[in-house]
Parts: sequence; C-alpha cells; structure tokens
Amino acid sequence: MEENEVSEALKNKFGKKILEIKIPKKGEKVAEDTLIPEIMEIKVFKRRVFVTVPIEIYKEVIRYLVEELGFNHVQAMTGLDAGKFIEVMLHLGRGITITVRTRIEKDRSVLSTITDLVPGASLHEREIHDLLGVVFEGHPNLTRVIVPEGWPENVYPLRKEYHPEQPKPIREMS
Amino acid sequence: MQEEELQKTEKKSAYELFFDIPVGPQHPALKEPAFFKFRVEGERVVGVDVDVSYNHRGIERALEDRNYIQNIYLIERICGICNVAHTLCYAQAVEQLHGKEIPPRANYIRLMMEELARIHSHMLWLGVAAHEIGFDTLFMYVWRDREVVMDLIEMLTGNRVTTAVNTIGGVRRDVSNEAKDKVKKGMNVLEERLKYYRKVALNDPTVNARCSGVGILKPKDAIRLCAVGPTLRASGVKNDVRKDDPYTLHDEVPFNVITFDTMDVFARVLVRIDETLESVNMVRYCLDHMPNGDVRIKLPLSPPVGEAISRVEAPRGELIHYARSNGTKNPERYKVRTPTFENLPSVSEMLTSKSDYEVNIADIPIILASIDPCFSCTARMEFRDVSKGKTWIWSLKELKAHCSKSRR
Repeated sequence: MEENEVSEALKNKFGKKILEIKIPKKGEKVAEDTLIPEIMEIKVFKRRVFVTVPIEIYKEVIRYLVEELGFNHVQAMTGLDAGKFIEVMLHLGRGITITVRTRIEKDRSVLSTITDLVPGASLHEREIHDLLGVVFEGHPNLTRVIVPEGWPENVYPLRKEYHPEQPKPIREMS
Repeated sequence: MQEEELQKTEKKSAYELFFDIPVGPQHPALKEPAFFKFRVEGERVVGVDVDVSYNHRGIERALEDRNYIQNIYLIERICGICNVAHTLCYAQAVEQLHGKEIPPRANYIRLMMEELARIHSHMLWLGVAAHEIGFDTLFMYVWRDREVVMDLIEMLTGNRVTTAVNTIGGVRRDVSNEAKDKVKKGMNVLEERLKYYRKVALNDPTVNARCSGVGILKPKDAIRLCAVGPTLRASGVKNDVRKDDPYTLHDEVPFNVITFDTMDVFARVLVRIDETLESVNMVRYCLDHMPNGDVRIKLPLSPPVGEAISRVEAPRGELIHYARSNGTKNPERYKVRTPTFENLPSVSEMLTSKSDYEVNIADIPIILASIDPCFSCTARMEFRDVSKGKTWIWSLKELKAHCSKSRR
C-alpha cells in the first residue's frame, strides 16, 4: 500500500474529524499550533505518514489500520514530554511507516492498551510506562521493565522535570 | 511469559512440582547481563520471565543534553558490533531533518561499510552459535576467518570495531584504489570459506542434531509478536528493510532477501550464512560501481524544526531511530529502538514448550543465542545509583579505597 492510499483511506474512514490536511515538503517546519489535540492531521512524506488523532478515536484508528489495512507490525512506540502534555507516537507497518500520534494530559496520563490488537506491543507500552508514567488501561502486565530494581515510585526519567545528577570531575583540572 | 501466567501453569502441573531456574544476570552462555527465570517441569521448560534492566545507561536522555556532533560518538557506543548501523541510522535521521542529500560516493562507502559490518557480525554470531552447541572447532575456524574482514575494516577506517566512519553529511574517510584491491582479495577468501561453512552446516551431524527442530517460531507467531530480521526471515516471512524501505543505495544494488522455511535454529544458521554471501556480492558491486567525487557535504550544526524516522536493517534486524528537532543545537527527543528489544517476545515464545514441541533445559543457550541477542543495545536507560531520591558520588579517596579493597 502506498503512502497516499493510506492517507486517502484514513480520510474516508475518519473524515469528519479532519480539519486540516497537509502534505509538507521534506524538511518543512512543523508549527507548534498544528498539534492541538482536537485536530486530526495527516502529513505524508516519502514512505512516511504522520497522523495526529484525538485520544477518543486513538484505538479506533489503530484497529482500522491493523485489522483492515493490515499494518500489523509495531515498529516502536515513542513517548515525548511536551510541556503540559505527553505525546505518544505509535509507529506501525513493515514497508511504509505510519505514525499515529496522540496527546494526553500529564496529570491524568491514561491511554487504552493495544496489546489485544498486536501482542508484540506489550514491551513498548511497558517501556513508556516506565519512563514517562503513562498508564495503559487493560494491559495484562504493566510492571517495570527498563528501570532497575529499587527505582523509586513516581520518578519518571524521561519527563523534563527529572534532572539526572551531573557527574562531577573527581579531580579538579589545574 | 508474564508473572500471572506463570502462576496459572503452577496449578495445572501434572506432577505438581515446578522449579524456577534463574539464568543470569551473569551466565557463561550469555555474554551480557540479562536475567531469565525459567519455570521447569522435569527437563521441560514451561515458562520464562525476562528482565533486561541490568545494563541501562541513560543514553536517550544523555542525547538530549548534547549537540548533534557529540551525539554521533555517543550513538556509536550504544552497541559495539552494530556501530555502523547505529551511526548510519542517526546520520540519516539528521540529514532528513536538514532535508539534504549526500554525495553518491559517500552513499556507496556507507553501504559498503554497512555490509562489511554485517559480514563480521554474522561471522561472530556463527562462531558463538557453534560454541553454544559444543562445536568448538567450527567456532575457532570461523573466528579465524573473521579476522580477514576485521583487518579490512581496520585498513579502511583505522579501527577494528568502533569505526566512526559515518558522519552527518557523508563519511569521514575516502577509499583509495589500493584499498579497493585489498578488499576484493579479502572478499574472494571470505566467499570460499563461507561456502565451506554452508557445506558444514548442511552436512555435519552435530549441527543437525543440535539445531534441527529446536527453537521453533511459526510464521503466524513471528508476525503476531513483531519479530524482525533474520529471526523473522528464518520463519519464512520475506521481510527486509533494505527491500521494503530502501535507504542509501539498496534500490540500486542487487541482492536477494534470504528466507528459510524450517522455522528453527538451523534455519537461522543458514539464513545468516546465506545473507553473509549476499553481503560479499554487494561489497563487490560497490567497489566496481563507485563513482568519483566528494564524500562529505558540510551541514550547519542546528537542523530546522521537524521530525524524522530513520530505518536501517542492522545485522540483528530492523533498527529505528526517531528524531525531533526544536531548532537548537540539541535534539528535543531522540528515540532508539533496537532489534533485540523487538525480538524478546519471540524468544520467550520459542523457549516455552507447546503441545507439539518440547523445550529442554539443554537447548536454552542455543535458543537464546539464535536471535543474536545484544542486551547493551536493548537497555539504554540506566542512571547512576539513585535510590529513594538520594544520589551519591564517590570522591577520589573513596574510589581509591574501594580499588585497594578489591585488590586485596
């Protein structure tokens, strides 16, 4: 399936939610205000599609992509601390990469799991839970996997408010 | 397998006797720290729990605090063996942010270095696998021949393992004509030896007895659990980032995607040997068709605001980097997803007995080795000793005291 066909299929299926569709050129600037959660936006690069969806239809869009369009491979999941929000990006597909992006509030960071659709997403969700504190509702085993034993609760190393201790030189340079 | 499922199997035991065997974090079969808890019923393995949190280094966070040039050298140290794949993926992501193409000669050199790294990684794996099945003669033969490609890499880049050849905007070293001749000679030696190893793998009763029918991963499960790389191709699924999402020059250089349909460790051995032979041919093609010209373009330190996803077929499978730039000289977020992390659910599946196939304790090392695990790639996020919010740093005096204590 080509990148433009995917974006057309998504527009046909979830058309009402789309307010703006942009096909930027390579390396074009992404304005910050295009990422507000009410807007569903589709960007198409060469073999890359970026879809921004509101949290309500996040799982619906993924179900459509996995079950009907056949993008059943989870490449990765990226979590990102964007100030008041946490941005979760799911990269799907084996040939072209479809990135489904959603934004959740930092204080109530709850998102429904997709492990029932793709079991291989389990470790990715646990990683984001570990590092950013997003809770995936319905995940069968949301325990810590990345941070070591004895790591304090409610300390999430990839959030911007966490500052790792800077190593000091053990000997002053003269 | 998850903790809950382990508890479920406990109740269903025919003998009502289960033992948990811990393997790791330090274990002679695994060269890197990872902890596996195997639940066994007699000799059968019925469950496995994986913990990879021993080797976290905090690289993703550290990347946010350094500039794009410093990050090349940090990225390179995620993994020693796949260092070319990592720097290539990083350089591609940053070039995508800049929206710039690199000169064609640089692309050829990048592809050649990537394939040379694949040859050395697969030969290293073949040696390790031979050692795991107790075939140490093959291990020593393969590692002796691996020195041929290691010497070539050293001649081309100045270093045996950490090559530092890729950089933002191209490559750091050109290839001379004398070097080309030496690489060609080396490829002839390697091709002959690899064909011999293929014959050994196909005909030797030891390899056959220890690898056939062991560590089965069905194509359906491989797709469901998102397996990547040779592990996936050995289950008969034709998938390779180099063909599906061509980068550098993979749409021009001819090569075949190797698959094998026996789904076991034996298939993984043969897929890797055949892939190495393909790589030898790709290196030859690069040497013959390399155009003249520059090998690097200069790019500014700060790329424009934007985001990029870069994919590379590393020796162990699909490698993904995600970069988000905020217009400054440091990246806003940099995410690395390595192939071993993606293959962990698959290896748990291989290590669990099913109704139609059994996993014995003796098969654990070779099944674990068959995905070519690399745990220092997988776990990148550890911080120094932090417990309950307290941190401490040793002074030089304390460090010296500790050293002298351990010397005693």
